[in-house]
Amino acid sequence: MRALLLSTCGLAACVTTAPAARTEAPPAAPLPAQAPRPAPRALPALPPMKLVVLPTPGTPIVSVRLVFRAGSVDDPQGKEGLTALTTRLLTEGGTKALSAAELNEALFPMAAELERDTDKEFTVISGRVHRERFDAFLSIFAQTLLSPRLDPNEFERLKTEQLNAVRNRLRSENDEELGKVMLDALLYEGHPYRHATVGTESGLNSLTLDDVAAQWRRCFTRARVVVGVAGAADDALGARVVAALDGLPQTGAAPTPIPSPGRVANQTLIIRRDTQSTAGSFGVSWALRRDDPDFALVFLGLSYLGEHRQEHGVLFRELRDRRGLNYGTYAYAEHHRQAGWSSIPRPNIARTVQDLTVWLRPVEAANGVFATRGVLYFLEQTLRQPLPAERFATAKGFLSGATRIWTLTDQRRLGWAIDELIYGTPGFLDAVRATIATATADQVQRALARHLDPATLNFVFVTKDAEGLRKGLLTPSAGPIAYPTPKPPEVMEQDKAIDAFPLPMVGERVRLMNAAEVMR
Amino acid sequence: MRMVLLTVFLALPVGAAPPNAFPWPITTSTLKNGLTVMRVPFSSPGLVAYYTVVRVGSRNEVEPGHTGFAHFFEHMMFRGTRRFPEGARSALIGKLGFTENAFTSDDVTVYTVTGPTAALDTLIDVEADRFRDLEYAEEPFKTEAAAVLGEYHKNAANPALRIEEAVLGAAFTRHPYRHTTLGFVEDIRAMPTRYEYSRQFFKRWYTPDNCVVIVVGDFDDAKLMKTIEAQYGPWQGRAAKVTIPVEPPLKGPAVAKVQWTSPTLPRTGLYFRTPASTLSSSDGAVMTVLAQYLAGQTSPLFKSLVLEQQLVERLGPSFQDHRDPALFGLEARLKNEGARAEVDRAMNDAVTALVKGAVDERRLSDIRDHLRFELLMQFESPADVALALAWATGVLGSPDALERQQQQLAAVTGKALVAFAKKHLIDANRVTLEFTVSKEAP
Repeated sequence: MRALLLSTCGLAACVTTAPAARTEAPPAAPLPAQAPRPAPRALPALPPMKLVVLPTPGTPIVSVRLVFRAGSVDDPQGKEGLTALTTRLLTEGGTKALSAAELNEALFPMAAELERDTDKEFTVISGRVHRERFDAFLSIFAQTLLSPRLDPNEFERLKTEQLNAVRNRLRSENDEELGKVMLDALLYEGHPYRHATVGTESGLNSLTLDDVAAQWRRCFTRARVVVGVAGAADDALGARVVAALDGLPQTGAAPTPIPSPGRVANQTLIIRRDTQSTAGSFGVSWALRRDDPDFALVFLGLSYLGEHRQEHGVLFRELRDRRGLNYGTYAYAEHHRQAGWSSIPRPNIARTVQDLTVWLRPVEAANGVFATRGVLYFLEQTLRQPLPAERFATAKGFLSGATRIWTLTDQRRLGWAIDELIYGTPGFLDAVRATIATATADQVQRALARHLDPATLNFVFVTKDAEGLRKGLLTPSAGPIAYPTPKPPEVMEQDKAIDAFPLPMVGERVRLMNAAEVMR
Repeated sequence: MRMVLLTVFLALPVGAAPPNAFPWPITTSTLKNGLTVMRVPFSSPGLVAYYTVVRVGSRNEVEPGHTGFAHFFEHMMFRGTRRFPEGARSALIGKLGFTENAFTSDDVTVYTVTGPTAALDTLIDVEADRFRDLEYAEEPFKTEAAAVLGEYHKNAANPALRIEEAVLGAAFTRHPYRHTTLGFVEDIRAMPTRYEYSRQFFKRWYTPDNCVVIVVGDFDDAKLMKTIEAQYGPWQGRAAKVTIPVEPPLKGPAVAKVQWTSPTLPRTGLYFRTPASTLSSSDGAVMTVLAQYLAGQTSPLFKSLVLEQQLVERLGPSFQDHRDPALFGLEARLKNEGARAEVDRAMNDAVTALVKGAVDERRLSDIRDHLRFELLMQFESPADVALALAWATGVLGSPDALERQQQQLAAVTGKALVAFAKKHLIDANRVTLEFTVSKEAP
């Protein structure tokens, strides 16, 4: 939770998207034959140009939010990164009337925001502007989508930037992001989710301006967009935005169908990099989504175990506060993407197939195995042991209150409202709060048990001594770790149980690779 | 370089706007013990932001071997009191539905809480309790020191930390701004041995006259103040006086060199030692405008280096208001090492043109408009308002700092930009960053 505000979002560091990798480690040992997973339930179809209007009394600012059902799953085979690049070229590369520089100059005096984010299945293009400048803004905003310049220079500039993100930033600047991206690659081998939104090196290298133009027409269509307006907005303003976007193609390509991922269980990937610590990302894909009756209970259970960046989560309290192992450890009931310093979940990154993940922030390399045992030990405790009443009450109280904070801004309110359409879950946060209000620990544990088998978790580590970590993970017990300072007897006693907690890894399913190979 | 994010925060409150451009009334009271309490009503039904600013940061770390302590101490503020021992506080705050966090900068430490107005009385009780009666044992202190070292390691994987360390090291020799907010790594390693010092640190700086409580959102003011007076009233103490070393003139130009050994893009930076931001001078406002003028997205440098020649992947300013003389800079991420000379030359030429008196008045006017609208757009939630007030008040030292910054900004002229550049953006004040990569990606 506590953050140090220094240069980490400065020029040198703003890595917000991370590339997927072509894993060149040896193929994983096959699992015993199992029945294929059933196809996931498709997300509900929405009418074209569905409009959401959320007026906010008193604000002079208009928010517009377009959520396109277009994402990296729409990247053609061998063209990974195309949707993200298309989104950027539309919104940054200028319009027929305005070059990229002129677009900046037009938006600058009104301090208008024009932002974009591409995820697996959805792309958000959003804007904010003072109502005094709304007319001028809307005209420009619409032209970015209806009449993009598709400038070859901008194409080259933005493509190179994505390539640099793939080649350089991920590999050498952010172990935690590398771990998360490689967990995706591990869980979704052979699936459209496998590559990250920013693309792969070979995919980006193959892209042409014609590819971008085609992707724009295929994916940024009336059929695929939800239009949201909020703030100093009403139905008439919403209708104006819809009218301004009237020139979008009616339909392009049909949304890419999302198959079930294969059964990936108990696989471990250790990425070797010259780094001072060991970062971990663990997880498993699952069918559980917001539209499942169990979701709110599981959501509560994972918040209890490891609420994002909040001290009261079990993993935070046990691994950081009591043992000083790292900066924090968190658990998520649906796919999570960190949004800068914020502790608030990002809306509109909906997925047909979801996953449970645990983010073990970097620990001293010598403690990597113990910290992993700790995660599994406290997960097991959460699943099987009576939950302490006070801790459980804290988790309930927190989610009941924090979910109200998640919708405080107009863009977030729009985001959550549009997610309700996407998942077909009207009144979602109210329903979550209602479930939480009466939830018992027993109900939560039973719901967790219905969806989660810890033996299916998969593990990705980024560390320097990959062989040493592999050996440690495959060793039954290394003895409790040594602390620089004495610990209370109850901690030392519990450490013995953690040390004795069996790790699931088996040799043939632990793979090693170099970070330098990840992007080749 | 540490400033890009902060520029966002700090540039926002200032604007070429009328004096009353801050859209809400601010009510300020000072308790008998010196605690300042600022309140702003804001439409956020049932929710409130409750921020506490302590005017302490790495600037106050004057003793050798104790760098990084303000940040470390920020962590300790979460480790319990007599009434709410370790874990009990966070459990209670969480149970009530509040989210909380904190951050430390060179000049201030800010504790942030947002949550339900219905539980505000309890929150005030818990917050006042930790500022009055923080109490932690040596063992959790040492444990938290290990977490800080983990934070250092986490950040060390990114070039930004190393760049910041090198530039500050080249620009400062005596003033505490010579180290990052995290501190020198050897001092972080020694933190577990500083338990007694941490107790002193609390007594020195966590005093009512050195703190400002900022409440924004949906609340009953009379009820709020009654509770605040009851809970914070007994808090006693006076902030310590320490002598902050005065930094001698730089005698530049200086160079900060960093070599990175894993694949990334090379960087360059052009920094100048510049004056403090104060409410009695226009320097902070001038630098806020200059940041956009020289390296913003509509600057000729951006157009030329990023969009047209494509020598640079990213270009931006580096500026944050500081209580003492600090740095103003331009930073660029180069596409390749071969671009360095040309990019450095272009950045220096842009500064030289300003020194010679060339000002684009149309751009200056656009920047004023930008800052005026940005001011109005930034306040989306009570937390946004509280954060802007926390920065302005914490760094500039007055509850009316936000409004006075706007007035200063409205007065910035082209002539003022030139005068500032002539005086401060000179070779003697200059530090150039040379961040090179020994193994560039193929």
